[in-house]
Amino acid sequence: MGKTFAEKVLAQKAGLQQITAGQIVTVKPDRLLTHDNTSAIAATFRKIGVARVADPSMNVIVLDHVTPAANETYAISHQATRAFVAEQEIAAFYDIGEGICHQVLPEKGHAWPGAVIVGSDSHTPTAGAFGAFAAGIGRTEAAAVMATGEIWLRVPESIRVQLHGTLPARVSAKDVSLYLIGLLRADGADYCSVEFAGEAINAMSVGERMTLTNMSAEMGAKNAVVEPDEKTLAWLAGRVTQPFAPVYADADATYASVIEMDTTTLAPQVACPHTVDNVAPITEVAGKRVDQVLIGTCTNGRLEDLRAAAEILRGKHIARSVRLLILPASREILQAALAEGIITDLIAAGATLLNPGCGPCLGAHQGCLAPGEAVLSTSNRNFKGRMGSKDAAIYLGSPATAAATALTGVITDPREV
Amino acid sequence: MKATQISGRLWVLRDAEGGLYNDIDTDMIFHNRYLHITALAQMGQYTLDNLKGWEDFARRAQAGDLIMAGRNFGSGSSRQQAVDCFQALGIAAIIAESFGAIYKRNAINSGLPLITLPRLSQYGEQFQTGDSLVVNFVTGEVLRNGVERFQAQPFSKVQLAIYEAGNLFEYGKVAEK
Repeated sequence: MGKTFAEKVLAQKAGLQQITAGQIVTVKPDRLLTHDNTSAIAATFRKIGVARVADPSMNVIVLDHVTPAANETYAISHQATRAFVAEQEIAAFYDIGEGICHQVLPEKGHAWPGAVIVGSDSHTPTAGAFGAFAAGIGRTEAAAVMATGEIWLRVPESIRVQLHGTLPARVSAKDVSLYLIGLLRADGADYCSVEFAGEAINAMSVGERMTLTNMSAEMGAKNAVVEPDEKTLAWLAGRVTQPFAPVYADADATYASVIEMDTTTLAPQVACPHTVDNVAPITEVAGKRVDQVLIGTCTNGRLEDLRAAAEILRGKHIARSVRLLILPASREILQAALAEGIITDLIAAGATLLNPGCGPCLGAHQGCLAPGEAVLSTSNRNFKGRMGSKDAAIYLGSPATAAATALTGVITDPREV
Repeated sequence: MKATQISGRLWVLRDAEGGLYNDIDTDMIFHNRYLHITALAQMGQYTLDNLKGWEDFARRAQAGDLIMAGRNFGSGSSRQQAVDCFQALGIAAIIAESFGAIYKRNAINSGLPLITLPRLSQYGEQFQTGDSLVVNFVTGEVLRNGVERFQAQPFSKVQLAIYEAGNLFEYGKVAEK
């Protein structure tokens, strides 16, 4: 009987002939990703009583959440992380300004087809866009992985999402994600491995695929994966130095469910307050006034996203009533966007540029919301109070929808500007 | 070794419409404005203070109490504090139809019992705040007010071993011996 991606990759890692969903295996992950919470993880690690991390080459540490430090508390936390990095001789440390951990991880060659990656952040599944098995874990567990080099995993059941057709103009991977989350709901893929396939996926850039795997966390997925192809290999060339062998699901694998979707007639989608699965086509929410627009984050802060926004805003100016924040996902993306003139165009249109990092997405700094305000954001979560006030409204949409909305000051269909 | 059968007073988390609360996310459980707090003793007071109708839960709960909710409890971020805050209050177990994937791992690894009652939303109205429950982790049996029996998923082998050891670290020490 055929096996899913998760069953195959975890069997390989566990050194077992074959395994089946539901089974519990112990594996040595290839990478452990941690961010600003490294200081707390390090404190837990010290309580275990082990002097050295099991394998320093496993650790990838990126300071991204509140960078540069917004106050003394954050500064002390960053200081503790830097001290831990020096003490444990961890080479893969990326200090403030490098970018968001989910973007920096693959950029610096720490994600590859067939790799097993765990990270102390719920959007760790992003790296599945490269054919890796990537799952989020908690702080305590991250400390345990540091100490032992191993982790227990329950082999997830799998959901196959088959995307047919092409995407209409100004409709993107983000709209596909939001539509699927609205369909499956916030718990529709709980504990599951989501496999994305089909011609619509093949046509997507690597960056767009990262949007899909990133957003899969919002339907409860343990991990999500896109099968590697030439685009994947071209993206990884010059970044990944070690040999790897892609893992593909068998054609006759057993799935918990298979979802078929034709994207040809898909309209832009918007997630309304206060849950990501509260999704409506843009025609139903158009006209809603917003005070702020955020374009960026680990969901939509890549070059193609900034390009889509600039294409709409170039030579124009945002509405007087709106604040537009641009948050590139990494230094590499910021440099590429500068070279292309995208940043110049966006700033000329009235945008405020933030340094690569998590920015206001988690409500700690750089653009928090006041009571009664509304934001259209390209990020992945609209939980109540996430971006500041509990009495603020967060709408989620694509970069094109965000740019069109910034232009008018009300939620606007990007196909109409 | 800890007891594999517990009993306690139940809190049923209901929403404004009176149904079991679904999709209680980690920001509702432990809001991101408290994420700088790392001392367990300080976490309890903020538990559920961003969940509409349950803002004062921390002041009403007592050690040994049990909590019940609907589907997808603990969805969202990987933050450990959303588990730790219940342990700070001494909550003995959380019962729900399903849990967020990372939340479930965090709770298992911290030794906080999560009880999964499949299809709970179909009969959740039978449970009331103040009910007395007995829960057996090995058999999955849930006994309400000494009379009604419900079947939860029994703990998996690794879940039970971690719980009995106390948490993932104590389990690791046992495993090495």
